[in-house]
Amino acid sequence: MAGGSDAVEATTLSCAKCGKPAHLQCPKCVELKLPREGAAFCTQDCFKASWSSHKSVHSKSISSSALVNPGEQNTASPNDGWLYCLRKGQSLSPKLPHFEWTGPLRPYPISHRRPIPAQIDKPDWALDGIPKIEPNSDLQHHVEIKAPDQIEKMRETCRIAREVLDAAARVIRPGITTDEIDAVVHEATISAGGYPSPLNYHFFPKSCCTSVNEVICHGIPDARKLEDGDIVNVDVTVYYKGVHGDLNETFFVGNVDEASQRLVQCTYECLETAIAVVKPGVRFREIGEIINRHASMSGLSVVKSYCGHGIGELFHCAPKNIPHYARNKAVGVMKAGQTFTIEPMINAGVWRDRMWPDGWTAVTADGKRSAQFEHTLLVTDTGVEVLTARLPTSPNVFPLVKSLIVVLHC
Amino acid sequence: MTKSRRSPSQSTTSLKPEIPPVGVTVITGYLGAGKSTLVNYILSGQHGKRIAVILNEFGEEIGVERAMINEGEGGALVEEWVELANGCICCTVKHSLVQALEQLVQRKERLDHILLETTGLANPAPLASVLWLDDQLEAAVTLDSIITVVDAKNLRYQLKSHNDSSSFPEAYYQIAFADVVILNKVDLVSSDDSGASIEDLEKEIHNINSLTSIIRSVRCQVDLSNILNCRAYDATHATHLEALLEENKKLSTRDLHDSSVRTLCICEQKKVDLDKVRTWIEEILWDKKYGMDVYRCKGVLSVVNSDQLHTLQAVRELYEIVPTREWKDGENRINKIVFIGGSLKEEFLIDSLRACTL
Repeated sequence: MAGGSDAVEATTLSCAKCGKPAHLQCPKCVELKLPREGAAFCTQDCFKASWSSHKSVHSKSISSSALVNPGEQNTASPNDGWLYCLRKGQSLSPKLPHFEWTGPLRPYPISHRRPIPAQIDKPDWALDGIPKIEPNSDLQHHVEIKAPDQIEKMRETCRIAREVLDAAARVIRPGITTDEIDAVVHEATISAGGYPSPLNYHFFPKSCCTSVNEVICHGIPDARKLEDGDIVNVDVTVYYKGVHGDLNETFFVGNVDEASQRLVQCTYECLETAIAVVKPGVRFREIGEIINRHASMSGLSVVKSYCGHGIGELFHCAPKNIPHYARNKAVGVMKAGQTFTIEPMINAGVWRDRMWPDGWTAVTADGKRSAQFEHTLLVTDTGVEVLTARLPTSPNVFPLVKSLIVVLHC
Repeated sequence: MTKSRRSPSQSTTSLKPEIPPVGVTVITGYLGAGKSTLVNYILSGQHGKRIAVILNEFGEEIGVERAMINEGEGGALVEEWVELANGCICCTVKHSLVQALEQLVQRKERLDHILLETTGLANPAPLASVLWLDDQLEAAVTLDSIITVVDAKNLRYQLKSHNDSSSFPEAYYQIAFADVVILNKVDLVSSDDSGASIEDLEKEIHNINSLTSIIRSVRCQVDLSNILNCRAYDATHATHLEALLEENKKLSTRDLHDSSVRTLCICEQKKVDLDKVRTWIEEILWDKKYGMDVYRCKGVLSVVNSDQLHTLQAVRELYEIVPTREWKDGENRINKIVFIGGSLKEEFLIDSLRACTL
């Protein structure tokens, strides 16, 4: 992180605000490698005072680097103009970034941004990558009890999300790239009239997350072909009629080893047993106790950095943190009419995670595999309704997972 | 897409020795009370400790905070930028603060402590909630204490202002949540002033929060060992809570107005059922039962079917009850709980706690 006050400038820069000799540099400009003129200030006060006009320099730089025109690309690039994702999607690079990779997997270049038809209703981040309504909403501070009409919308949107995930499931096979899976998800979503919520959410460059092997979550669809023996999680969220529906499943690619089968089976059971206790009066804290117990019994570990969350009009809202680990301080008890996700990530090795240079992909610290399953749930008067449950039309992609049942309480 | 609340440290190899988490102290107080003086004193002092001070100058919008780090011996000052992530996945910027602090700890060879100076932050509770992490996360940083710097000369005025408005002035929150109060500028207060003596001011502070320790100072020149490594939120380091057991002095403060912010201490001799106590404290903290507004809660519990002394700690809605140590032979096993907040109702609390005994 560049500071600047201890360096003596060889050439005197002038403060962008007042013109006096300047020795302090805006750290964002330094990071974005913007010209030093216009990024220098004489004091913190001048910096603060000019911030609201100065910061537009950053967003101009970011948006111009994120959109890549193939025609302008270096023709020596072997990837048809596809580039590696960096800084959460705010910039791209032709070179594989340097990193102490924890396992065998590597990022591959990503394709260009997929367009969304004009008539589709979009969340506010579709435009500039930055959610504005979500972080400032009152729904971050209290858990919404949804009205019947809102619940009906959730049912419809979650059903669409389920159908989109099923469409992705049907194309999983060795040789297909995660980018092609993303294309299927993208097309299926917009055909249904929905918006793929992950797209441009905090600059996320694709329409779903594809997490292979040691990737815990938030893998970015790219040019890598799935290989026989891989496991891959596809995480879909659809925005339709003003609400979001969120689910994910881990799939087998070809013939998968026994350890991976057990991992996937156990992870699914963790979700099942957690859903089984959901009803009014149960503490959100309890979810983590149950999942932790079940994973530990199988000698597997629970990822702690990512958690379940409230969902509805907002992609992520209160209850903001529903941890999957035990002895957590999650606040509140479940009430009828609340909707939230449970999405345990279970690891074959250690629980710790690391993040790739793209700023999104979370991988296991020891490079061993991780699996995940997720549902969006509605608390009913007597129990729970799994809004993203499998449909009769859902493909049977779990020949080896023993108890894949739709969990419903009456 | 999964909701991120990530904060654990990212050591790649298992060969790296486990370092204890670095304590984070939140410094709050009115502008002009002396926070900057305290910060400068800590940064320039020859105390041999490497301390990073995060100056919350720009607020949340800018995404960077300026950090000044005292490099310990030699006292050289290093300026750094701590960049907050560009908005966590759905989290507020405050949460990305924890990640940024952890990255800071990792970048530096050795940091002894972190101070978070909060310019103009009225209520330190949200910050405390973000920093009071679950032990399970094994984070590289841990909330050490909340320190409020109070201006002895102006305290009376700050407490009296807005007395008729429905919300309390900042000073009440800042004192209520404090683990340590630095009563600064004591040299400007003399006992022949019409008004408060130092003792009177200390009494006013203790009226609000009888658990906080008070350190008198001139120009914030305090002994650092009194304000660092308080471990006020560390369940395993419960010695200050255990002081509750020996406390003969009455911890409850007189209720000046029904709704005023004050401290209430209740006792119960009979052992309590842990599940009932959990439900009891949740109804108070989460459901605001009987309209009480609890800011902090600390206590020791004598639990049925257990030889362990349990400690209770709460900040706003976050709470934990943890077994801490075995009761010693001959020790008086008692439940003693202190509430700091507004509209506290003593009889209700005593009766409802009694209902938790079998």
